[in-house]
Amino acid sequence: MTAVPATAPAPTPPLTRGRSWRGPWRPPYVLAAVTVGYLVWSLAPVLLAVLFSFNSGRSRSTWQGFSMRWYYADPTLSVLHDESLRRALTHTLTLGLLTTLVAVPLGVAFALGLDRWHGRLPASANFTMLLSFVIPEIVLAVGLFYMITLLATPFVLGTTAQVVGLVTFQLSYPVVIVRARLATIGPQYEEAARDLGASAFGAMRRVLLPMLMPAIFTSAVLVFADVLDDFVIVRYLSSDAFTETTSIKIYNTARGAPTPALNAVATLMLVASFVVVLLGWLAVRRFGRGQEEPGSLGAFAGQV
Amino acid sequence: MSGTAPRDRRRGLLGVALTLPGAAWLAVFFLVPLYVVVSISTGTVDPVFRSVVPAWNPADWRGDQFGYVLSRLTGPDGFFGPVMVRTVVYVLLAVAGCLVVAYPVAWFVARHSGRRRGLVLALIVAPFWISYMMRMLAWVNLLADDGLVNRLLGGAGLVADPVTFLSGRPTTVVLGLVYGYVPYMILPMYAALDRISPALLEAARDLGAGRFETFRRVVLPMSVPGVLAGLVLVALPMTGDYFTNDLLSASPSTAMLGNLINTSVANPSQAGQAGALVLILVLAMAAPMLLYVRSSVRSDLAS
Amino acid sequence: MSADRRPEPNPFARRGPSRRGVLGLAALTGAGLLAGCARERPSSGLTAGGGGSGSPTLTAASPSSPVRWPILEGNAPIAAGLAPEKDATLQLYNYVDYINPDVIKSFEKKYEDTGVKVVVSTFNDTNESLAKIRAGGSPYDVYFPSYDQIGKLATAGLVRPLQHAYIPNITNVWPQFTDPWYDQGWQYTVPYVTYTTGIGWRSDRVNEDIGARANPYDVFWDPQYAGRLAVLDDYREVISMAILRAGGTDINTGDDAVLGKVREDLAAMAKATRPQVTITDYIAIPEGKLDISQAWSGDMIAAQGYLPKGTDASVLRYWFPADGKGMVNNDLMMILSGGKNPVLAHLFLNHLLDDEVARENFTFVGYQPPLNSLDPSRLVADGYAPQGLAAATVLPSYFESGYRSLELTPEAEGKWQDTWTRFKAGA
Repeated sequence: MTAVPATAPAPTPPLTRGRSWRGPWRPPYVLAAVTVGYLVWSLAPVLLAVLFSFNSGRSRSTWQGFSMRWYYADPTLSVLHDESLRRALTHTLTLGLLTTLVAVPLGVAFALGLDRWHGRLPASANFTMLLSFVIPEIVLAVGLFYMITLLATPFVLGTTAQVVGLVTFQLSYPVVIVRARLATIGPQYEEAARDLGASAFGAMRRVLLPMLMPAIFTSAVLVFADVLDDFVIVRYLSSDAFTETTSIKIYNTARGAPTPALNAVATLMLVASFVVVLLGWLAVRRFGRGQEEPGSLGAFAGQV
Repeated sequence: MSGTAPRDRRRGLLGVALTLPGAAWLAVFFLVPLYVVVSISTGTVDPVFRSVVPAWNPADWRGDQFGYVLSRLTGPDGFFGPVMVRTVVYVLLAVAGCLVVAYPVAWFVARHSGRRRGLVLALIVAPFWISYMMRMLAWVNLLADDGLVNRLLGGAGLVADPVTFLSGRPTTVVLGLVYGYVPYMILPMYAALDRISPALLEAARDLGAGRFETFRRVVLPMSVPGVLAGLVLVALPMTGDYFTNDLLSASPSTAMLGNLINTSVANPSQAGQAGALVLILVLAMAAPMLLYVRSSVRSDLAS
Repeated sequence: MSADRRPEPNPFARRGPSRRGVLGLAALTGAGLLAGCARERPSSGLTAGGGGSGSPTLTAASPSSPVRWPILEGNAPIAAGLAPEKDATLQLYNYVDYINPDVIKSFEKKYEDTGVKVVVSTFNDTNESLAKIRAGGSPYDVYFPSYDQIGKLATAGLVRPLQHAYIPNITNVWPQFTDPWYDQGWQYTVPYVTYTTGIGWRSDRVNEDIGARANPYDVFWDPQYAGRLAVLDDYREVISMAILRAGGTDINTGDDAVLGKVREDLAAMAKATRPQVTITDYIAIPEGKLDISQAWSGDMIAAQGYLPKGTDASVLRYWFPADGKGMVNNDLMMILSGGKNPVLAHLFLNHLLDDEVARENFTFVGYQPPLNSLDPSRLVADGYAPQGLAAATVLPSYFESGYRSLELTPEAEGKWQDTWTRFKAGA
């Protein structure tokens, strides 16, 4: 992705040469203050929400002492014991897993294919893919909702429909990331393998795919984390209580009668996606060894 | 390269085989749904159930639903018009808000974060991994009548009664949109600003440009692509957003296009209207979408 | 949310996007293909076979013209005396918080030997639920509709006729509901609960007795409450309220003059008080998140359970016209054809009509079941409701004096929807 180049440029060297003009090299106090202010504004509300998931009382704004009540201690209202919350959690993770398993192989193959097949048809496919990349989510969600309810699709609203919608919306991630990686790898490795007698498929599988591993893991993490976050598609394509995700749960209850258990669910999702990001980062580092500098955690996350 | 013909052909066949599943998937689950929306918006309404009867065949397309929507854009019956205007105003304000926040932050991270760049970048990216709904929930908690903000305001004696932030206040909705989407703007901007070589800035300095001059004549022009990308990436989802509004306002007085679509879809008799509204959204967004897709295809060609 | 969806520069695309290519892809999957596989609509049979009377219409039931709905061929009631399904998951489709989890548990316990498990799915309004049910493939066994949906669902064969042999408890309910005008011979439905539509508030947060106003509905237009009140997220309720406020009595009208006035009034209301549109009043009022809300009687009785600790139930208030000239209604239970467990579904209906079970349900949902054994004049005395909520009691006589939302004619329906969309658009 363009967001962060694989090799980050060196930080600006502190220039101390004696000219009267200090210009942009003066410590940017204002900019630093804006950035710090932004970070606080952006993260403090979330940290407070996390904090209140540990509140011992029912309030989400008055601190009444630390407790794990909303996670497991409360016999009816905690995440552990409220079946609908637990179900939402597991369903969200299931969707994340299924979507990743379908979208990533499909997208990687698509990217490799576009790399090899040139012409109008693949160009149109590429164009369509890019369009699916930028189209407002509600358009796709409404379209799929009507398609599934009006046409004799072999599946109805529910988990399958949700996975189909999510895969469609997420497909572009692996494609774009893998194509970027292919661009930096270049054709020479594959050519060399072919010269040494490998078949087209063999060269791709034994030479190219291993080199693509970091990109594949990065896109898997992105897809998974983005699915955990999805709301519009999963809501339009849900059917019943079994197919509600945590985001639907939050949306339905945020203005109703939420207890800190809702904050607890959201916190667990947050932990889940950070764990996945961390695992992905470790995997990228591992598979990336011996190749180009995989970049810092920031650079990795920046590949969003 | 001068590979032999059969080798190239085999490589080509492999390419076709690899491309087709993804292309077929997009055709069936992306293009067909779009066509269904067109069929619905050009269809008729079942007289008994008042549910939609899609016009699958383009020969049967009828303009009733569009006529209905268009006839209600302006004039005495014009209740869609104000929503469109409101949507545009909110999105413009929110995008401007994002820009004001994102540019300095991106510039700071790209230029001045020094050794802490990794950390700052990770913190800036963190919102991507936090569910959007949770971030909104956090604000619902804070802005509630008995929330922290009201308690601070009340405690400081600034307000006598709690401020009803969460009922139909455009400011809350616009700020909510800024909060929700600004991370999506910072990254492309950061990427663009990061690409500007420090040598260029030094050169500008050596040629006698001042601080402001350097920014205006070097940094600003070079960051335009990143800024444009950021604008599009934020404006597109915002225009279709309805949940931010639902969570932070829940009042018709701040309803946006996304809310209208959402309400219409829930109602079988208004499916045609929903379809028409979705298409209007697509048409309104066509220019930025195509601009974006074209620019990425063009950068393909360039490199 | 999608993250930064920005594609990477790509050196391999040798060609710009081809418009023709895109069209080609679209054509590949285009109209002809779609036309061939349109899903069988429940409506299509009806539309085609609408009879000799020109354009087909649905009969609209009303107290003056009771209706016995047809039973479609192939949609016969199940046989009597069947054994309940084993290890089944009984799916209920209901409003949020509209059934007591305890009565579900007691049902599971009662039929423990069958291994039944009950799951509740929820909807926000009946448009949404109807859309999902009509979409086909919905797995729900028991649905809790309002009576204006019976016609559509029965005509489309989406609802299963009842086998009365499983439901002896029908004798427990008010006689007017054992052979109701909306479903003669109770072929498809049994009554669930009754309610009126009025205004709810907390006396410690509102410094006036809204019921004492000359026209209590005016409160929604009173700017002093701007940002602090809500109307129900239900087009029939809100538009009907505006009609009644303006002195009308026909809440099923298609009269342009009346609806035109409603539009003006609702626009004026939105401007004056920016009301929220929600059905969470039963929580928001007791918690103090809202001060005044258009409310269903049952929601205000249920509100007792959502008061913050230390707040006495005596602060809750509900107003409904003392002469009974307001909106009055009842909800129903029915068994959907798509459900997989018809026998258990029948047993569940019977369970909820049991005297004890219905009362237990009442204490949670706050909506009053039409039980013979429940004396409406004694609800306050028996502790179901505090004095301030006495007006939330539903009397059998209300069903004579009050106004009922009937199924609208298609033409009127269109106008009502138009009015509602305009209101929801904030224009």
